[in-house]
This record gives sequence, structure tokens and C-alpha cells, in this order.
Amino acid sequence: MKRLWLLMWFAGFVLAAVGGAAAAQEVVVGTSVALTGKYDRTGREQLQGFQMWVEEVNARGGLLGRKVRLVHYDDESKPETGAKLYEKLITDDKVDLLIGPYSSDVTMAASTVAEKHNFPMVSSGASASEIWERGFKNIFGLYTLAETYMDQILEFGKSKGLKKIALVYENTAFPRGVASGVKAKAKSLGMQVVYEEEYGKASTDFTSMIVKIKARKPDMIVGGSYLPDSTAFVRQAKENRLTAKIFAFAVGPGLPDFGKNLGLDAEGVMGNTQWEPTLNIPGAREFADKYKAKHGHEPGYHAGGGYGAGQVLEAAVKKAGATDRDKVRQALFDLDTVTAFGRFKVDATGKQVGKPGYTVQWIDGERHVVLPASAATRKIVYPFKDWAKR
Amino acid sequence: MSVRQLAVAAALVAAAAALPLVASEYHQSFMLQLFMMVALAQAWNLISGMTGYVSFGHAAFFGIGAYAGALLLQYGFPWWLAVVKGALIAAAVSAPIGLLTLRLRGPYFAIAMLGLNEVARIVATLWVDLTRGGSGISLSPALLPGLSVNYYTMLLLAIAATALVAWIHRGRFGLELRAIREDEGAAEMVGVNTVRNKLSAFVLSAAIPGAVGAVFVMYTSYLNPSSAFAASLNIQMIVMVMFGGTGTVWGPVLGAGIVMLVREFLWAQFPALHLALLGAMLLVVVLFLPGGVMSVFARRKRMRPEVITRESR
Amino acid sequence: MQELLDPVVLGQLLIGGLLAGALYALLACGLNLVFGVMRIINIAHADLMLVGAFAAWVLFATLGLNPVVALALVVPAAFLFGYGLQAVLIERVVGRPLLASLLATYGVSILLVNLGLLIFGSDYKSVPVWQGSFVVGEFVIPKPRAAAGAVAVALALGVYFFLERTRLGKAMRAVSEHPHVATICGIDTRRIRMIAFGLAAAMAAAAGAMLSMIYSFSPLTSADFIQKCFAIIIIGGMGNFLGALYGGLLLGVVEAYVGGVLTTQWAEAVAYLLLVLVLLVRPTGLRGAADVR
Repeated sequence: MKRLWLLMWFAGFVLAAVGGAAAAQEVVVGTSVALTGKYDRTGREQLQGFQMWVEEVNARGGLLGRKVRLVHYDDESKPETGAKLYEKLITDDKVDLLIGPYSSDVTMAASTVAEKHNFPMVSSGASASEIWERGFKNIFGLYTLAETYMDQILEFGKSKGLKKIALVYENTAFPRGVASGVKAKAKSLGMQVVYEEEYGKASTDFTSMIVKIKARKPDMIVGGSYLPDSTAFVRQAKENRLTAKIFAFAVGPGLPDFGKNLGLDAEGVMGNTQWEPTLNIPGAREFADKYKAKHGHEPGYHAGGGYGAGQVLEAAVKKAGATDRDKVRQALFDLDTVTAFGRFKVDATGKQVGKPGYTVQWIDGERHVVLPASAATRKIVYPFKDWAKR
Repeated sequence: MSVRQLAVAAALVAAAAALPLVASEYHQSFMLQLFMMVALAQAWNLISGMTGYVSFGHAAFFGIGAYAGALLLQYGFPWWLAVVKGALIAAAVSAPIGLLTLRLRGPYFAIAMLGLNEVARIVATLWVDLTRGGSGISLSPALLPGLSVNYYTMLLLAIAATALVAWIHRGRFGLELRAIREDEGAAEMVGVNTVRNKLSAFVLSAAIPGAVGAVFVMYTSYLNPSSAFAASLNIQMIVMVMFGGTGTVWGPVLGAGIVMLVREFLWAQFPALHLALLGAMLLVVVLFLPGGVMSVFARRKRMRPEVITRESR
Repeated sequence: MQELLDPVVLGQLLIGGLLAGALYALLACGLNLVFGVMRIINIAHADLMLVGAFAAWVLFATLGLNPVVALALVVPAAFLFGYGLQAVLIERVVGRPLLASLLATYGVSILLVNLGLLIFGSDYKSVPVWQGSFVVGEFVIPKPRAAAGAVAVALALGVYFFLERTRLGKAMRAVSEHPHVATICGIDTRRIRMIAFGLAAAMAAAAGAMLSMIYSFSPLTSADFIQKCFAIIIIGGMGNFLGALYGGLLLGVVEAYVGGVLTTQWAEAVAYLLLVLVLLVRPTGLRGAADVR
């Protein structure tokens, strides 16, 4: 028995030693993304964006003349796994630069680890403003804040004389951020939230909720959601003949899968996007074409954000002239640049203040930017067509 | 415990205590998680291994301790007090629960505990004012002790849990618990106070995860209902004990070590595969090796752990 | 709250509850059938349901089969799968203490879930057929749910009459009620167990195929369903086939109304609360349960 113990003990150490070695002549960039779990789809897109940046920067001769290598792990869409992985990236893989995970809740956990090690982290997958309300000095966002996601749509609704809003959202950091933004904006516009409910899971059966919403006869249905729940809600809304002038959801409608899963039922549904290939931003179209050639579909904003995060890091390292943590942090605070993802400019907390958000709508089986008018590729379709008349 | 076992134990403890002097932070993190699993496995062993009442919901106490710890740290309590109170709160909650659920036999107890873990998760989700619900609690690094504190605290908990099981195993209390496992009715007839014994074991086995949960949250700094009351934690506790040897002192330690190593090899690359493997391991042990790996090593021992084959019918 | 006095809202919630409950019922009946015949609680039962759901999804994605049509393939295949699983694995824990079978089926469950994740990933899948709904007066009845509910009730009742009326069904009940007597009477109990497990797997897979039209699902979806099933069989009485049928419908309706009066998050909790409450009040379940020990 003693021997077995010894064996285990040594096995542990041998194992431990295997992971450690990192070559000195490389710049190692570390990240975790969801490759399994509920953020699987979006996490994968984001990773493909990073990877395209890594390829390109190496083709350009690397960072500071050193080759860039990406180390990534799967955080299973779980905050606690994300925290462990960033601990591993920092202490075991000894990465030089960090890119944040996908989703606000995993970022909440991961950014605490980065803060503990005083390690700057560029986050391309999180938008809940509470991330930047903790006094941290090491988390730099690319995304427009969740709280502002629905502003344009609510303003549009107001302009059409709409008053009553039904608001449903998942009970995690990002959807809650969207919801609190909707409530604040509705109040300032003099609109009324006639129905509000949180739900716990993407696989929720929304029937009871929809029956109640129907009884309140809202003008607008607004969802603080991710992909699976927004898809399920629209499907069940159709089944139960829930009608309103506007259907708007966070995340889901901004992704190609939304149209793929819902087919014709996606028509007219509005959503938000951080970025679209059609936007008039230098480099956006080129990135989108390359991405499409490689992965066979147009990139959504999650891929664009991943790519943009790489470019932001690149700009910061160039500005800092080193991968030294303190210098990179300062450079990120000072930076005001435009990547293929749009403008990057943060305030003193690291929160994004330079980039606007956009509104999309599914029209004729395609996702089009409809708001703001300056970026629109199609005119907004209003009102949402009654299910019975489709 | 024989002199030889004591020597092995002492050597293990000394090695673990000296490890931070030589190992990197990451390896310390790994060991910390190993200690955590040892402590949790021993807690499960204490109630389910010794009495035969299989709990499918011990993660509930882990989660309660984790939430207690996180909230106390936020209210400004020192970390050690948060850990102690995490254990006490989990124990306090477990007493009435145990009183009610331990009346249930066999599968009913198992199902009730499974339900309990879900109820705890739902309470944590819906009690937004206290727990912030699904948004989770993110602890500021300023409130958290360093890695070495977490490391030694977790080590201490693993040692304490193992020592507790060893001590109970040797004494009259352990004998009575095993009597309950073999035949509860008969045990009662010969004068064993089954209610008090089961409840004591249950409360002790809840206090350990309570403390572990509080240390865990100091280590990860973030907590939400699904990480606090994770079903995978229940799976791991059960598999580790079953694999090592149910109702034994060293089985859970051995099981935790093996499972954690398997995990470490497979986890980063193949998350689904490592869990599938745990499932396969559980099947193999239940079907072919009811005494766990320990039974292979302990053939000569007088007392063979056979909770599964001899549990009362 | 005032809309809850509206008969249309109340009726609509009832419709939603009954249709969801029909699926629960079909699933729980299989669980109880297995428990009745061999005193085993199959923790992997809801994973068998997802095997059916994924089978329906694959058949839809490759051959364009409607899940209701796909039942013709899925149900017999699941029967054989269940029959084989019993022969190879579950048979080994029959007659052993409950904990052995509990842990063995738990192992099967972990294995199936994670094999599912390896093969299909954790993306949510669904089978979009028969979208839309029938409108009956003021009420709306979603087409896929109506179809699923009808299939579920028909199958559950079909199996019930099989148990009541046929020779084989009667033998199965005999094994369930008096295993020793059944053996003495010359019933091949091993074969009966394999058929019972096959039937249960077929019912679970049928429920899964129907589920694929209604919900988005991933391999992890089974966790919610198995726990609801436990609640149902404890409410309805363990081993009691009809009890599971009523219990399933009841849970569906209760969930719908709790979702209506409170919130959907509470509706998801209600099964667990019922489960714990029933166990505390009546440690052997509401209806006289079969002997467990």
C-alpha cells in the first residue's frame, strides 16, 4: 500500500511538470472560451476570431518581432471553471497577455483572478456594467454596455407611439443588465413596463409566461436573452399566438443560427449587435470575407469581437513597447484606436465608452442593420406581422 | 490504525505541508483541489459509507457553506471565522433536515437528498436580496486571503475529515453506525440509539462540506447558484468514495487521488470524456469491485468494506 | 394578478399544463414499470428519453422524417436497446440492494449524458415541424404539443391495456406483485424483466421523440426531467403504473398554474418542493407504495 502512495505522489509531480514549459521567444496569449455548455456557439465564434488575428499578426511578423501563440481552454460556460483556468493561464502557462472569456458571468469570475494577479485583461465577450463597478484596474471592455442594448429600439417604439412593454430576461449578469437598462430607458421615455419576469434556464417552458403576457396586451416584447432562450421564446410565442408591434431580443437575433433555427418565424424579430460585417469600419469587410472563406459563414459580432480584441492587444503592446503588465495596462487606458470591430476607448474604470451599438432585424431571411439610420442596410419593417397572417 | 499506517499518514501530511516551498502556484492549486475532494469524499463516506444512507445531495451543504462564507467575507468577517461559521451554519441547517430525511429508507432518502440539493439551488436563485441570485457573488481580491492560507486551510480540512473518519471507525460510534448499515432493525433491538447515531453522523458529514465550501469560495472568488449546488460535485464525491472503498478510512483518500489525476490528464482537452470516464468507473466498481480499490489491497484485513453487497434488505 | 380570474387565461394554462403533463406521464410510467417489475430505480431513465430525442433529431436532419413518423423506427430500436441494456448490465444488479442498482444506473446516466455531449455537443437542438397552432374559440392549442400529448396518452394507455389484458402483460404484473410465486408458476422472470426494461426504454424514447418537437434540448436536459419523474412516481406511488399517469398530468397542471400565479422559476421548483413535502408527510409516497425494502 505504501508503494501505491509513493507512486501516486510521484505521478502527481511528473504530471505537474509536463504542463509547465513555455518557450521564451514567443508572446503567449491566453484565454478561455466556452466550447461546451450554454455559451458553446458564441464562445466558438469568438475563439475563431482570436485565431484569425493570431494568424494574421504572425504573418505580419508577430508582436515586437516575437511570434504569437494562443493558449486556450474550454471553460464549459461555467464561472468557477473560468476562474480556475485563468489561475492556470497566469501561474502555470505563464502567459504574457490575457483575453477575457465569453459571457458576463464567466468574466465576473475570471476578472477577479486577473485583478488578484494585477494582470490586465482585454475582454471581448462581456457587457454587463457591474463588471466595471467593482473598482478593478485590470479589465478592459470592447463591447457596448448591456444597459444600452435596447435604447435604439425603445426610442423607435416611442416614435411610433408605443407605450406598453413586456420584459423577460434570464437571471444572470448580462440579461439582468439589459433589463435594468430597459427599465431605466422606458422610464425616461415615459413608457410603461406592464410585465416583467425573470427565468432560470434556457430550456424554460415559456407557456405560462406567454399566456400571462397575452393578457396584458403589450405593444413591445423585449427579452434579455442569449441564443437558445430567444429562439425558444419566439417559437412558443408563435405557438401561443402572442402578438405585439415589436419583438426584440438580446444576442439571439444577432447570430446566424437564429435565422437557421427559426426559418420564416425569425422574420421581423429585432435584436442588437455589437458589430456587423456591413458596417462602414475600416477592415470590417476584409475580416468578414476572410472569415467566410475559412469557416463557410459570415461572422457574427462574437467573431468580430474576438478579432478586435486581438487588434486592441496588438495596438496596446505596440504603444507600450513591451508585454510588461504595467506598461500594457497603462497603454490600454490611454489607447484611442479604431479596429475592425470599431472604436476602442475606455474610461478610468476600463469600461468601453467609444463604441456605439446597433440594431438588427431579420428581413427576407437575412440579418440587416436597421438602426441607427446612418449604418442601416435596410429600412426597418414595422409593425411585426401577426402570426395568424403569415 | 496500525503503526505503519500512522507513519504513512505522517509522511503524507509532512510532504503536503512542505509542498508550497517547492511547487509552483498552479501545482499548489491542484493540490488544494485534491484536498478539497478528499475532505468532501470523507464527508460523504461518513454518512453514506458508514450508515448506508446514500446521499445524492451533499453538494447542498457545500453550497450553503460557500454562500455563508462569501457573505460573511463581504460583511467584513475575517476569513477563519467565515470558514468556522460556514461549517456551523451548514451543520445547523443539516440538523432539522437530517431529523426529517433520516426517517426515510433506501431510495427515498437518496431521492429526498437529490431534491434537497435542487431546492437549495432554487432558494439561492430566488433569494435575490441575500445572494444576488443568478448574477452571483463576486468577491473583491482585497477580501481574500492568499493562496497559501487557502492551501493550508484546505489541507487541514482534509486531515481533519480523514482523522474524524478514522476515529469514528475505531470507536463504539463507528461500530454502531455499521450496525445500522448492516441491519437497522436489529441494531435498534440490541439497544443502539439509531436516531441519535444517524443524526450525529449526518450533522458531522454536513459540517465538513460547509467549511470546504467557504474555503472554496475564498479560492475561486466567485459564486453563483449553479456552481455552489453543482450536480457534478455530488457525482465526484460518490465516485471517489465508491472507487476507493466505501466505509473505509483510506478509500476516499485513494479514490480522490485517482479521480483527480484522471481529471487532470483529461479535463483540459476532453471535458465530456472525463465525466464519461467517471461514469464508466462507477459502473465497473459497482458491478465488479463492490469494495473499491481498497479491497484489493486490504484482502488480509479482518473487516472488509462491503456496504453494497451486504446492505440490509 | 387580475388576469388570473379571466377564464381564458385559466383555460389556456390548463391546456398548457395537460399537454406538458402528458409527456411527463409517459416518461414516469416507464420508470414505474421498471420499478414495479424489478425494484430498481432507473436514474438513467430520462437519458433514455434523450436518446429518443436525439434519434428523432438525427432522423429529421438526415431523412427529413417527422418525429411522429420516426416513432415507427425509434420505438422498436429503443425497445431493443433497453432489452440489451437489461441483459448486459442491469440484470447484474437485480436482487442486489437498492443502492447497488441506484449507483449502477447512475453510472449509466453519467455515461449516456457525456457520450451525448461528445457526439452532439451541448448546442440546443430542436425539430421544427408542425409549427403553429389550432385556434378553438378563444383558446390556442399548439400543433406539436397537441400531437405529442395525443401520442403520449395513447402509448401510456396502450401499455396499460397490454399489462391488463394480455398474457405477457399479466405475467409481468405477476412478477411485479409476487416474484416468488411467479417463479414457481413457471414464469421466466429474467425474460419478463428484459421485456419490461425494453418497454420502459421504448416509452422513454417515444417521449423523447415527442419532446424534440416542443422544446430545445441538449444532453444535459435529462437532469430536469429525471428529478421531475422522481417527484411524479413518489406522488403517484412507486411501482404504480396508473399512479404515474395521474401524477404526470397533475404535475404538468400544477406547474402551469404555479407559473401563472407566481413565476416560471417557481414552477420549475414546484416538483422538488412537492417531492420533499410528500416524502416528509408520507415517507412511502401518497398512494400505497410497493414494498421497497
